[in-house]
Amino acid sequence: MDITLNVNGRPEQFSAPPNELLVERLRDGLGLTGTKVGCDTGQCGSCVVRLDGRSVKSCLVLTASAAGAGITTIEGVTTRGGELSGLQEALRQEHGTQCGFCTPGMVMALGELVDATAGGPAPTEPEIREWLTGNLCRCTGYHSVVRGVQRACAAGRDEVPAGTTATTASASEV
Amino acid sequence: MTAVTGEAPADRGGVLGRPLDSREDPQLLRGEAAYVADIDLPGTAHMAILGSPVAHAKILSIETKAAEQLPGVLKVATAADFTDVMPLPCIWVPGGVESHFPPHPYGLPGARPVLTGDTVRHVGDPIAAVVAETPRQAAAALAAICVEYEPLPVVTRADEALADGAPQLHEAVPGNLNAYWTCGDRDRTDAAIAAAEVTVELDLVNQRTINSPIEPRGAVGDYDPATGEYTLYASTQGPHNHRFLLSALVLGIPFNKLRVIAPTVGGSFGTKGYLYPDMPLVLLLSKALGRPVKWVDTRTGLMNSTVQGRDHRQHATLAGTRDGRITAVRCTSHANLGAYPSTIGPGVATALMGRSISGMYDIDAAFCEVYAAFTNTVPLGAQRGSGRAEAAFLMERLVDRYASEIGMDPAEVRRRNLVPKEKFPYDNGLGWTYDSGNYRLNFDKAVELSGYADMPTRKAEARTRGKRLGVGIATYVAVCGVGPSTRMSQEGMLGGTWESANIRIHPTGEVTVTVGSASTGQSHATVFAQVAADELGIDPATVQVHEGDTQKAPYGQGTYGSRSYSMAGPAVALTARKLKAKLVRAGAVLLGAPEHRVVYEDGGIHEEGNPQNAKTLAELAMAMWYGWGLPPEIEPALDETTHFDPPDFNYPFGTHVAVVEIDELTGETEVVAYTAVDDAGTIGNPKIVQGQIEGSIVHGLGQALMEAAEYDDDGRLISADLGHYALPRAADVPFFALDKTVTPSPHNPLGAKGAGEIATVPPAAAVVNAVVDALSDLGVRHIDMPLTPEKVWRRLRGESQ
Repeated sequence: MDITLNVNGRPEQFSAPPNELLVERLRDGLGLTGTKVGCDTGQCGSCVVRLDGRSVKSCLVLTASAAGAGITTIEGVTTRGGELSGLQEALRQEHGTQCGFCTPGMVMALGELVDATAGGPAPTEPEIREWLTGNLCRCTGYHSVVRGVQRACAAGRDEVPAGTTATTASASEV
Repeated sequence: MTAVTGEAPADRGGVLGRPLDSREDPQLLRGEAAYVADIDLPGTAHMAILGSPVAHAKILSIETKAAEQLPGVLKVATAADFTDVMPLPCIWVPGGVESHFPPHPYGLPGARPVLTGDTVRHVGDPIAAVVAETPRQAAAALAAICVEYEPLPVVTRADEALADGAPQLHEAVPGNLNAYWTCGDRDRTDAAIAAAEVTVELDLVNQRTINSPIEPRGAVGDYDPATGEYTLYASTQGPHNHRFLLSALVLGIPFNKLRVIAPTVGGSFGTKGYLYPDMPLVLLLSKALGRPVKWVDTRTGLMNSTVQGRDHRQHATLAGTRDGRITAVRCTSHANLGAYPSTIGPGVATALMGRSISGMYDIDAAFCEVYAAFTNTVPLGAQRGSGRAEAAFLMERLVDRYASEIGMDPAEVRRRNLVPKEKFPYDNGLGWTYDSGNYRLNFDKAVELSGYADMPTRKAEARTRGKRLGVGIATYVAVCGVGPSTRMSQEGMLGGTWESANIRIHPTGEVTVTVGSASTGQSHATVFAQVAADELGIDPATVQVHEGDTQKAPYGQGTYGSRSYSMAGPAVALTARKLKAKLVRAGAVLLGAPEHRVVYEDGGIHEEGNPQNAKTLAELAMAMWYGWGLPPEIEPALDETTHFDPPDFNYPFGTHVAVVEIDELTGETEVVAYTAVDDAGTIGNPKIVQGQIEGSIVHGLGQALMEAAEYDDDGRLISADLGHYALPRAADVPFFALDKTVTPSPHNPLGAKGAGEIATVPPAAAVVNAVVDALSDLGVRHIDMPLTPEKVWRRLRGESQ
């Protein structure tokens, strides 16, 4: 069937089988390999993209059902080799990545949290952890990711990230 | 946090030891790094593998015609296609164990065929491979292959596999016993136990777990008929090792006709260092079809084929005095090797576990025996903290049991038995000689930082909220830095375990470091640049690091056993020192000064007492590139390589304290505080090590609380996807309180000890100790992992295990 998607601000027209998954279209059809496949069952979150602004697991979305939607993938967050977004920069400073396989999905999912809380109170540590439950990471144990989100949210609010002081202090000691 | 205490070396003011940002992070954060699934060679065809749906059966027939005729299918291969391919070898056969399998060249035992044609021995055992134009076509064709099975009885537990009348897996291995292995002094230990004032015993199940890197494994094979060369891209921890094993020992092709490339690898934790059937398959099928062949595993495929970990059933005894002095420890373990000996699985199940059981304690008598058995389960391999975590669990559970028996505080019992500082190097009587340590300092720091003294108050407070609070301590020593090649040969490892580095200082003064190791997410490019920059006194930004491609990198053994920093790191440092020595020799000529007066310092040389007579590294590099006027004993150019083989292993250690709260109504266990004080020797980049320690602790908590590879009676893995195999999520853990002590290792020039996985070793014991502490007034003396809410809830209701 003929489908139109707006991907990272560019209109894409193609014909797709009705059972094609969005992640297949993005990776195999459009060559956007920043979106990863880690589990096939919607558990790991490595395939998260933004669909009309909401983060979704693209292994659980049929391409056909996304017809007409605006999709943002990790490739749409920054240009290749370009400057990092505020969230990415905060994650870099906290070393919120190790092998990096789950990272693009995390950036996409956490981007929605950062956007959704902009202008209001910063999300608390439990709120960030709860938001992250859709994304599995086996390397970092999540701590550096949580600290990265706290840092990103604090940067927008010009404040010291709550709850990170003790851990950051130990960071220089470990 | 308090300043580092102990034997920390003086700060030299260099870039080593500083928390530099990981230079790998930006491309990972932008999604630009290419993992094996992202590699797209022109003309690639796609492979899928048919794994057995049954755990144990004879194959009566395989019919592939229908599959061959499906759209897009290019080839369906079975065992009959690969009769000239050797089986995948096992390269770690523990000392004294007789190999029951047909030998390879070089005396290695063959372990499993590339595809099985006669008998399947576990669900997922590969039977056939399909190559098609698209991944979907290949996967669809699997369903059209007809295999007729004659079911055989199934056994999934090691102890049951060794019982009389158990189903037999391999004709050559009567009774399913691959190895009976011992270490320590049996008679001395038995005598000490017989004479002891107090003995305690525990039966422990260290359940089978699945490493579950978020990236499933994958492989791309590319054969070039013009040169006869094969290229394998694979998610591997050890490209050089895979090159050696695959070329010489499986495919029977010259070593120099196989190139192995590890692209960005999405986590491993031990599992991606093994040989798997898919690796020779993509190479052989690429040659057969004249096209690149790509295979990417599914999650369920991974769980049914990638090596699994732990899986010991242990009977353990500890003996001691009434006043808290431990006199002996003994363990009998049944280890489940799975259906075939994996590349190094038998060594993990024996030496890595058994030689570690006495932990940080000074014990007069210790003995461990392991029965390693075959069963109808996925082959066993390494798992983050492998062997050492199983050992720490055993010892730390025993110590708590003993403390309870003699009515002494568990912290006090531990403190009284730690190996004293003056006893290093310390022979633990089980085969390891600990290099260095200050255990008491480490232990006291952790106990104090955890607020241990306040626990009675906190317990009382928790009860007012319907929670039972428990505290558990666990200590550990983790053998790392694998290792001295000769020592590993004594352990039965068939291969060298040195590590290498090459440094080129280019004519314009920039530096390229190439190492034989290969990162699976440990920021090697950052840390090895720090090592080289520190030694050469230059800006790390001018140092590039390469690894992972056997055509470009010097030989190396790869990343495993937390070895990269303490093995490849010293190789980098020693290579830089070779270059500095050469620059001093050449500099004497270039400066017209006597050699003994030439000093290398801060990225250049000068004549002692005459600082104007100097050259920068860039000037020297250009002069060495030209080579004009050098005496014949000095070769031009700056290009050196070192192969580093340490005198012995290194032994990081540490103390962890877990505080849990158990909900009286639901049985749910929450880790409410966690303190870890680890000693990884001298650390190269504390930011990166902190990340590894945090991730490692969560991995260990996963085993304690939720992870289990569960097989049903028919040998089917029930927990074969992430909906049924629980991994810790962000909301399952609190921030941790971390600190360190620093005891440099004398076994390498950096003073480094392993770090990557060490903090996975104690958490399971710490958490189970905490939960038993919380339930002790109910008469609970032990509880098996994982500590699911239901299991704990039943114990709260007084039900026995």
